Amino acid sequence: MKIEPYEFPDDLYYTLEHVWARAEGDLVTIGLSQFGQDLAGRIAYVEVPRAGRAVAKGEPFMSMESGKWVGRVKAPVSGTIAEANEELEWESDAVNKDPYGKGWLARIKASNLAELNELMKPNSPEFAAHIAAERAKYKK
Amino acid sequence: MLLHDLGHVPWLDSQLIYHAQARIGLEALNILAPREPYVCIGFHQQLEEEVDLAYCRERGIPVFRREVGGGAVYLDGRQVFFQLVLSKENPLAQGEKAALYQRLLEPVARAYADLGVPARYRPVNDVITAAGRKISGTGAAEIGACLVLVGNLIADFDYDTMARVLRVPDEKYRDKVFQSMRENLSTLRRETGREYSWAELAAPLVRRFAEVLGPLEPAPVPEAVRAEARALAPRFLAEEWLLKKGRRFPHGREVRIASGVNVLQHVHKSPGGLLRATLVLKEGRLEQVALSGDFFCYPQNSVEELERRLTGAPLERTGEVLEAFYATRVETPGVTVADWLEVLGAKGRS
Repeated sequence: MKIEPYEFPDDLYYTLEHVWARAEGDLVTIGLSQFGQDLAGRIAYVEVPRAGRAVAKGEPFMSMESGKWVGRVKAPVSGTIAEANEELEWESDAVNKDPYGKGWLARIKASNLAELNELMKPNSPEFAAHIAAERAKYKK
Repeated sequence: MLLHDLGHVPWLDSQLIYHAQARIGLEALNILAPREPYVCIGFHQQLEEEVDLAYCRERGIPVFRREVGGGAVYLDGRQVFFQLVLSKENPLAQGEKAALYQRLLEPVARAYADLGVPARYRPVNDVITAAGRKISGTGAAEIGACLVLVGNLIADFDYDTMARVLRVPDEKYRDKVFQSMRENLSTLRRETGREYSWAELAAPLVRRFAEVLGPLEPAPVPEAVRAEARALAPRFLAEEWLLKKGRRFPHGREVRIASGVNVLQHVHKSPGGLLRATLVLKEGRLEQVALSGDFFCYPQNSVEELERRLTGAPLERTGEVLEAFYATRVETPGVTVADWLEVLGAKGRS
């Protein structure tokens, strides 16, 4: 799905805060959407979570910094961190350059995959309305 | 919105109050200064890389890690802090980062103008004098359901102690940091030659913020905030929090003086020996260059010549400068243009 100039891959789920989630079995890979990274600005540092940490849906569990601004990332699903993208500690701009690829943030071993159904799919009217509202709010 | 004009407070309160307000979700504007000096590092910094902890402890200077971004700073009672805690639901806290910084830092620039220093907001998060010198340190964070913006009016600044508390690879580097701060960071005292009373400093800040925030209601800090601050203290003072893993610089040291101004030292091991470059980088240009190492070069004064050629060059042009330098029959066995680009931080940019 393309909402010019932003790309939102159809196979991903999205949160209201522009985090994407991709499920492979009970492993859920997450990242910032192309729109989300644009809102964040150039990311100077990403503090990745340690593996094994428990996370709860909707709760902040990692942080990133841009322009001396510390922003938090909320977990799209509950579970435990299976893996974090350690490369981002050294190459944080991968979040900006390749948000759906090298810029992935973490993999969560989900404790309840049904939580994914509470997220948005890009082809839903709800998603289009949300992005339109966000673009108006942020003048994007 | 509540206004807490607190004057000089215990140093720990100067940090914990806004962290507590944000956790409770209580909007407020705090105007305060620390009674005792301390060092404050950014949320994502690695303490041992940034601060000379042994020096601070020997001198009894406390060190604090805030949840707000940015770098290590030496704070004392000659800086008046403004700390704005806004609910993320507040329309004033919404919008793009740059727009938000502008909305909330323009009152600070106007307060400086009221105090006799024409200042303006410069994207993304700077307040600068007419000559382009930074005159306020600022940062922001999302804490709980709130957005926090903090910064200062700098009545006077202890450049010596600021340069001293930083961890540096050598004294030459420290001197560069000191000189660069003197050149790029100003104060009310330097701009006007004047001293100001607390009321003189606080009044324009309050007045200018009220123009953006709406009516401000002077009030004592609520007991719930005080209680939350007391509850937070052990966590914020714990070694585990202070020594939390943070941003590291594998190729050397970097101190950000102001937006677009950095003092760096990079080290690179080339086949011909170790190269070390101490640089002041301003707006993408090599403002100062000092090169050293244990490599061999002929003629002997070539390194000084290379420093001279590189000084003032934009980082993207350093490749050309190096090629021209080597065209003068200089010899540096085992050290190539690529090695220099590496140590100058220009690899992939030149």
